[in-house]
Amino acid sequence: MNPNPFLDMTRRQFLGRAGSGIGVAALASLLNPQLFAAQGSAGIPHFAPKAKRVIWLTQAGAPSQLDLFDYKPGLRDQYDKDLPDSVRNGQRVTGMTSGQARFPIAPSIFTFKQYGQAGHWLSELLPHTARLADDLCIIRSMNTEAINHDPAMTMLQTGSQVAGRPSFGSWMSYGLGSGNADLPAFVVMISRPSGKGNAQPLHERMWGSGFLSSRYQGVRFSPGKDPVLFLTNPPGITNDRRRAMLDDVAGLNKIRLDSYQDPEIQARIDQYEMAFRMQSSVPELADLSKEPVSVFERYGPESRKPGTYAANCILARRLAERGVRFIQLYHRGWDQHGDLPRDIRTQCYDTDQPSAALVEELKERGLLEDTLVIWGGEFGRSVYSQGQLTATNYGRDHHPRCFSLWLTGGGVKRGTVIGETDDFSYNIIKDPVHIHDLNATALHLLGIDHTRLIVRNQGRDYRLTDVHGTVIQNALA
Amino acid sequence: MPIFLLVGLTITVLGAHADESARGPKIEFNRDIRPILSDACFHCHGPDKNTRESGLRLDLRDEALKESKLGERPIVPGKPELSDLVRRILTDDTDEQMPPPKAHKVLTAAQKVVIRNWIAQGAEYQMHWAYLPIQRPPVPTLAPHPVDAFIRQRLASENLQAAEEADKVTLIRRVTLDLIGLPPTPAEVDAFVNDAAPGAYERVVDRLLASPHYGERMAVDWLDAARYADTNGYQVDRDRTPYAWRDWVIRAFNENKRFDQFTIEQIAGDLLPNATLDQRIATGFNRNNMTNEEGGVTPEEFLAEYTANRVETTATVWLAQTFNCTRCHDHKFDPLTQRDFYSLKAFFHNVSEKGVGDYNGPANVSSPPVLALPTQEDMARIAAIKAGIETTKLDQSPAAIDRLAALTKSLAETEAAIPVTLVMDDATPRDTFILLRGVFDKPGEKVTAATPLVLPPMRDDLPRNRLGLARWLVDPANPLPARVTVNRFWQMLFGIGLVRTAEDFGSQGEPPSHPELIDWLASEFISSGWDMKAMIRLLVTSATYRQNSKLTPAAHERDPDNRLLARGPRFRLLGEFVRDQALAASGLLVEKIGGPSVKPYHPPGLYEQVVNQKDNPEATYTQDHGEALHRRSLYTYWKRSVPNPAMLLFDAPFRETCTLRRPRTNTPLQALNLLNDPTYVEASRLLAKRMLVEGGESIESRLTHGFRLVTARIPNPAEMTILKSSLERTLREFQADPAGAEGLLKVGEATTDAKLDMASLAAYTILASTLLNLDETVTKE
Repeated sequence: MNPNPFLDMTRRQFLGRAGSGIGVAALASLLNPQLFAAQGSAGIPHFAPKAKRVIWLTQAGAPSQLDLFDYKPGLRDQYDKDLPDSVRNGQRVTGMTSGQARFPIAPSIFTFKQYGQAGHWLSELLPHTARLADDLCIIRSMNTEAINHDPAMTMLQTGSQVAGRPSFGSWMSYGLGSGNADLPAFVVMISRPSGKGNAQPLHERMWGSGFLSSRYQGVRFSPGKDPVLFLTNPPGITNDRRRAMLDDVAGLNKIRLDSYQDPEIQARIDQYEMAFRMQSSVPELADLSKEPVSVFERYGPESRKPGTYAANCILARRLAERGVRFIQLYHRGWDQHGDLPRDIRTQCYDTDQPSAALVEELKERGLLEDTLVIWGGEFGRSVYSQGQLTATNYGRDHHPRCFSLWLTGGGVKRGTVIGETDDFSYNIIKDPVHIHDLNATALHLLGIDHTRLIVRNQGRDYRLTDVHGTVIQNALA
Repeated sequence: MPIFLLVGLTITVLGAHADESARGPKIEFNRDIRPILSDACFHCHGPDKNTRESGLRLDLRDEALKESKLGERPIVPGKPELSDLVRRILTDDTDEQMPPPKAHKVLTAAQKVVIRNWIAQGAEYQMHWAYLPIQRPPVPTLAPHPVDAFIRQRLASENLQAAEEADKVTLIRRVTLDLIGLPPTPAEVDAFVNDAAPGAYERVVDRLLASPHYGERMAVDWLDAARYADTNGYQVDRDRTPYAWRDWVIRAFNENKRFDQFTIEQIAGDLLPNATLDQRIATGFNRNNMTNEEGGVTPEEFLAEYTANRVETTATVWLAQTFNCTRCHDHKFDPLTQRDFYSLKAFFHNVSEKGVGDYNGPANVSSPPVLALPTQEDMARIAAIKAGIETTKLDQSPAAIDRLAALTKSLAETEAAIPVTLVMDDATPRDTFILLRGVFDKPGEKVTAATPLVLPPMRDDLPRNRLGLARWLVDPANPLPARVTVNRFWQMLFGIGLVRTAEDFGSQGEPPSHPELIDWLASEFISSGWDMKAMIRLLVTSATYRQNSKLTPAAHERDPDNRLLARGPRFRLLGEFVRDQALAASGLLVEKIGGPSVKPYHPPGLYEQVVNQKDNPEATYTQDHGEALHRRSLYTYWKRSVPNPAMLLFDAPFRETCTLRRPRTNTPLQALNLLNDPTYVEASRLLAKRMLVEGGESIESRLTHGFRLVTARIPNPAEMTILKSSLERTLREFQADPAGAEGLLKVGEATTDAKLDMASLAAYTILASTLLNLDETVTKE
């Protein structure tokens, strides 16, 4: 592994290490950007991958496992009863409910049914996801230490609650490189809730590259004129004019290269060429106008509105088709401390149909076989109500001790459930899966041994899973 | 198969040379052995007792020579054949092999040979170089300038030659960008080129060091180190207003405050006798950490976070020690303990902060202690309102009651608008415990304020508080701060420090490329009275700095990173200076120093996607207008959750934690930024105007003027050919496309001269943009 990723493997260093008597100019010309974009780190993948790319459907704010995936029929009889102390067992709760006089149990008001050969119990809120039942590996025993959004989301994305570590996508583009010379390896798309849900903020650090080179940072794709920052030429600069100007810039840079012979100059010439290619590849990618009506019908009415989760799901499929390695969607608004029944409906309206449509489309196009799809949030929600509990309304506080998410795609064991929680969906009683285990598993599917994807920073070796993580064998096909 | 061959070969080599190895070239522990043992062995056989295997420590000689629990003798000095360490690293029995295969640490054949030979030579240890006292080495006689003498000594030993001095134009651009972060004006270039008298270059250096922009340039690196930003960082990430601290930094550099005083005031200015307002503002250094206002937060958890952050930041900036490792356990590689960490934390554990900010109060006062800094006008206005209230109180009429309510409201609003800066204070000390695994609610043994044991102790006469800590940091007996600081100056000017790992002078960091030079510079820094300007001046007046930076294939292959300095530095400017240079060249730059941060152009929609909308006045980016658009980049508003995207593209950190080195990437997103950001399109328009208005009448003279404003030099004939044909083509196109020209000329809010021909202005704008996008432009050559 490159012992000093901090300063990046620049061409300068590459040339130095490759030094074998070949002239600089000759070597520099070999180093075209495609070659570099496609190149990951030496020795990776460690073994044959099952998946070539990841689509992470991040549900930011923490969806309630109790109302979606973790069916607890016994709770109906426990309505408004106090959560037994033996269950909570003195464990930490957040500052928002620690002052509550009681912890009244709030059973889910939503009905659950079994779906598919697998017989997955799923809530009525997920009719579309239910169609996929036999494709899903549902993990009901996810857990984390973080109890508040910011550290928890940072943990989910970077494997550490403390800011400053590289995100999953950055590790992946560092390790595997890009699959498309004209697009970034790691793309991030964010959508806001259509309802009134409490939309917790996100931070750029969540897709940041931490101590890896900033070239591995996630690139935000946004709806509107500039899908990628500063992509569009200013008024008056036609494509032809831009091309001609870039030729002039390159001509002047080449004169300088002749005089200084610094390979960084050649690198800059190459980066300007890639920028120009992105000016056509990205708008082509972001343009959904040529998608047939049937696609929009499948992803639901929101998919015609740019910037929605549904529209982003279509884009995710288009990015996957073009070989982008790590496609991360964030849908905000799951933080239902109050009015959960109302707000979770709109969240599911936003996400259920498009998530299912995306998986089905990937499957039909043969992409699901080598794409890992993950759906879930940063922690779970409490069985006890936060605030007023009524027969039709309740809120739920943060709950890091257990939560649910699902996986599907390349190498994932489909139609299976992992882990089990107690009768209150409070503690895990079987097969706990920590975020480090999930990350270890995802890397494994990508052909990476998580104990060997290592980067030295400040004298210490770092991994996405730090010193933790065990591959979840039950999740592997 | 190849692996077996290699091992076999190694053994053969060892066998053949066993006798000579003891008489071979002297193997030095710090240079040759420590890096290998540290990386491959110390994790399990080093300072951390909790992860030590078989009771064996290899970081201390006495321990390594003892018989181990397993009855092995790891090192028998002079007798490699009896040393189990040698046997263990050479064996291919995976049960015996060290490092064990599961560690994923593989020693090379050469490393095995050097360990064996070192034992043959007697297995002498040395204290880690960074903890040794600074010894002022004699200056070699190879060159009159001490820096050159050390550099050339090494070059000579490598059979390399220093490069020629760069031409004067390159030199003045280099040193101007380095010292003030702005390009030289054509007049400054001319003056230097025409100054044939001795000392011309030194006069330029002295002018730059006296420039008020010097402090702005130096502040940029320090703001990264101090994780300075305009927002609280966590969750909703509301605004704070600590710019008084940032302005203190700029002033301190400009006034050339001694580095020891610079240190003491930032760590403990409030504890100085009769502390001035400025000295209290300086303590904002330790309040730049992120603060949390999230509803569910446990205050103790975040108090632990903030104090830990201060320990880590202080230890990184002044000591270049990776103390963050010792938050949870003893250090794996360096002789730093968890007790050291929490003993340092005790120095910072008496601030009257609350752990969680008050989200219901105004953002800028949500995390006391703070210092209100009313202006004269603020104070006058408040006095007037208060007087009005007193008068109105005497009157009981309904009108007066209404007026009283209005005045009270106005007083509250005026007071809330007073700028407030975060500071340290000296409240009741909290008990400090070693936190087991670093977890805030798992206290272990109680500790008191003390400095790390491996470093020289605090003098008895120093108080055991932050002031004592600050004075200990800059005690000349402390070997680290001077080395660490001169190394950062070196890094700033030459691109890579003498110690590449500027933030880690521990055993996992890189040893210095020129050990004598770093010690000589550190010694010089201290004996000069910690004079920062003198140190910078010393470095930039060396012939080493003044060499031309052209490469040859041979030189590049020999030393790709230019660690030996057989040529001058050539690398990309920091993002801040890429933008500042464009503003300066186009004449847009507003040279005002200090004040509240500003919000220049910014892509729309970035905040809306990610911020909390509820009750959040910062839910959208509200761009400023007028001169705020054209201030230097260090004044740009820095929101931690969504930092200025152009700065991020150019490798700026998030300013969440201390950063001493930025990477230097070269990406297509940078190209798009320089091509299309309204900042640069507008700068191109204004640079075009300067070419037309100031550049004479001919195309050549106008293009030359633009070229000089950006690169300081005159284009050569081949370049002029491209520039001219580009201009003629673009002019034709815009003459045929007035709408296109008009559209281009509307980008940005700055106005140009309405009398100028629109097609010409548009064409020169494209040429200006071409110039701003050159590799040379964004590079210090």
